[in-house]
Amino acid sequence: MDTKAELMDRRDFIGLAAAGLGALSLGLDGCRSPHKIAPSDWVHVGVIGVGSRAQHMMRMLLRVPGVRISGLCDIYEPRITEGRGVTGEQTAAYGDYRKMLEARDIDAVMVSTPLGLHAEHTIAALESGRPVYGEKSMGRTLEDCNRIREAARRTGKMLQVGLQYAYAPWYRDALQGIREGKIGQVTQINSYWHRNNNWRRPVPQGGDAKLERLLNWRLYREQSGGLFAELGSHQINFANTIFGAMPESVMASGGIDYWKDGREIEDNVHAIARYPGGQTLQASYITTNRLEGAQERVYGTGGSIELTHTEATYYEEPWYPNSAIPPEMTIQHKLITGPTYSAEQPYHGKGKTPVKGAASDADLMACQEFVDCIRNHRRPLADENAGWSQAVTVALCNQALQEGRKITLAEFLGKAASA
Amino acid sequence: MEPGLESGGERRNGASWSCPALLSGPWGQASEASPAGLLRASHLAMGTQFTAYLESSAEAQACFQSIFEEIDRVERTFSRFRPASEISRINRLAGEGPMVTDPEVFQLLAAAQEVSRKTGGAFDITVGRLTRAWGFAEHEPHIPTAQALKEAQEASGWRHLELDPAWRTVEFLRPGMELDLGAIAKGYAVDCALGVLRAAGVGGLIDAGSSSIAATDGEFAGDCPVSIASPANAAQPLCEVSLGGRALSTSGVREQSFTRDGRIYGHLIDPLARGVDAGAPERQVVQVTVLAPNSTLADALSTAMFLMGYEKGSAALAGFPACSALWVYPRGEEMECLAHDWPGENSLS
Repeated sequence: MDTKAELMDRRDFIGLAAAGLGALSLGLDGCRSPHKIAPSDWVHVGVIGVGSRAQHMMRMLLRVPGVRISGLCDIYEPRITEGRGVTGEQTAAYGDYRKMLEARDIDAVMVSTPLGLHAEHTIAALESGRPVYGEKSMGRTLEDCNRIREAARRTGKMLQVGLQYAYAPWYRDALQGIREGKIGQVTQINSYWHRNNNWRRPVPQGGDAKLERLLNWRLYREQSGGLFAELGSHQINFANTIFGAMPESVMASGGIDYWKDGREIEDNVHAIARYPGGQTLQASYITTNRLEGAQERVYGTGGSIELTHTEATYYEEPWYPNSAIPPEMTIQHKLITGPTYSAEQPYHGKGKTPVKGAASDADLMACQEFVDCIRNHRRPLADENAGWSQAVTVALCNQALQEGRKITLAEFLGKAASA
Repeated sequence: MEPGLESGGERRNGASWSCPALLSGPWGQASEASPAGLLRASHLAMGTQFTAYLESSAEAQACFQSIFEEIDRVERTFSRFRPASEISRINRLAGEGPMVTDPEVFQLLAAAQEVSRKTGGAFDITVGRLTRAWGFAEHEPHIPTAQALKEAQEASGWRHLELDPAWRTVEFLRPGMELDLGAIAKGYAVDCALGVLRAAGVGGLIDAGSSSIAATDGEFAGDCPVSIASPANAAQPLCEVSLGGRALSTSGVREQSFTRDGRIYGHLIDPLARGVDAGAPERQVVQVTVLAPNSTLADALSTAMFLMGYEKGSAALAGFPACSALWVYPRGEEMECLAHDWPGENSLS
């Protein structure tokens, strides 16, 4: 594989994505009634993997006019029952995804299986000739990601990856503001997704080790990408988008340090990623304290943006002698300072929240985008290229974590290519 | 002991328990009889404290987490205070024409409509504008102006909520309508949480601020005694009732009310009353407890029975199989209980 070519692809994509930001029609509530939708425009979706995430996304899909869930596929029978509870009907059930893909009444496929199975299921669905909504991350390994992207390109079928915050208005507003220089030059992003729970799903009484691995697949190496994948994907994607590139190197640390319950994946992970423009992403994902919650702090020389799941808050950087605040922003800020400001103390001033999550559920918007792309034969913002860049960055973080050293992207891509 | 859990549960002290209904019964005794005891964990959601009591097992911790995640999911879907919820989306858009919602939301709206129909509109989820006008949800209760009341009442009424099951669409037939599922969503959350427990095969009981209580099948449901607190003195139970596989819900206005000119105005707004009477029903019921086959129905009916009073409510309950109710009226210094098909009602004082 040509590393430079890969990176160029990504940069090209980011440029396209940025150009498309303004054109993307969000809040697609224009047509809310299904009465006026022609039968040919109805989208019948088959779902591979009907766990809790899929059930949530099925509810979102069913809020989009002209969508029906026409197939449910899972090897764990209770999930079929639960899935039918979501659809409200006796939706056709399959234990083998290949059988579902043979069905003639399926127009599109949602893949929401354990991460290690994404490649098998996504590629099969694409090769069946259908557009696919694939949950994040796109693939667990670099090889998986390459195969999925190749399948999307080869089949020409649309693949939308479940990076729903790409559609969230407050994220898009923040991205727009950053590109317009509202917080100066962005030098660092700190991303946190801190939880305080063991990340374990209940296994019905009498369940064996096999069922434990099926239901708690996130805890086991074979299927899981760990906390970097399950919690970090959206934030890593956002950092890649802001910096317009994938990181050139990553160092990572973590361990199974508290939840020593037989799991194989770390209960805390941390990464420092360096980007080609000299920017840094510090990412931290833990399961033993929730003070920080899920948030990203984007630091610029003239201000900061704090992003959560519901809103973006802007903070101006208080002016101080010899600071990095751009001169034009100093004027713009009218030399904001005050007697209580201390340069070395945390800034707790009130921020501005210009775009709230108000009318927006990011998952619903992602589903609206998926259906709209199918009907109008257009590419989604979170396509196979965005998915590839995000998922490969996650895989790079995991590689650095496993090897306990700094790994460059070039080395990672080259090593995989030569393997 | 697993992190974050208390073993054995505790016998609640009615004097310190501020909600209308309180649990008693097996919890304290169970911990004494069984060293393993029951496990208890609480979670704040939907403006109240949900508490789950589970049989001790290796899966209990994971069950607690899944239960509370499910309750949070219900809140994210049905809260009118969350701008991204489906109910908020409906409130924004359903006045512009029919809009599609998902089957779960549609089914709960349809269930609410059915209760409205059978209670003659005493239960009504279209009271969003009315409850907002009275300010209880915003913790700023006040008597609305006549104009505000008029506008709110014109934008309410369950018959103006059009549900089309063929297309799964929701439509407001009057401008400015707003849904408020505050009188049914907590009960629904309890039912959903019980579904999580049943799927995991773990026995347990879910208690939503002690006003909605339900247990899984088996020993929890069969012989689970619950004390109904007296509205006059929470330390003095009115009576004890066994769930017997049913869910229980209690409604009252003691905790969300204010007094003006000698009248008590409460947060249970009567959609059928006009003017300020909507916030101060003349019936003087102070508390109603309902037993129903599920918590969703129990929650809705306890509000309806409160607003309807004993006579109308008892008649309406004939249309709800396997439902019982207990009304409490103040009679001077005493409390009078009136019952509809209440277990052991002859023993009520």
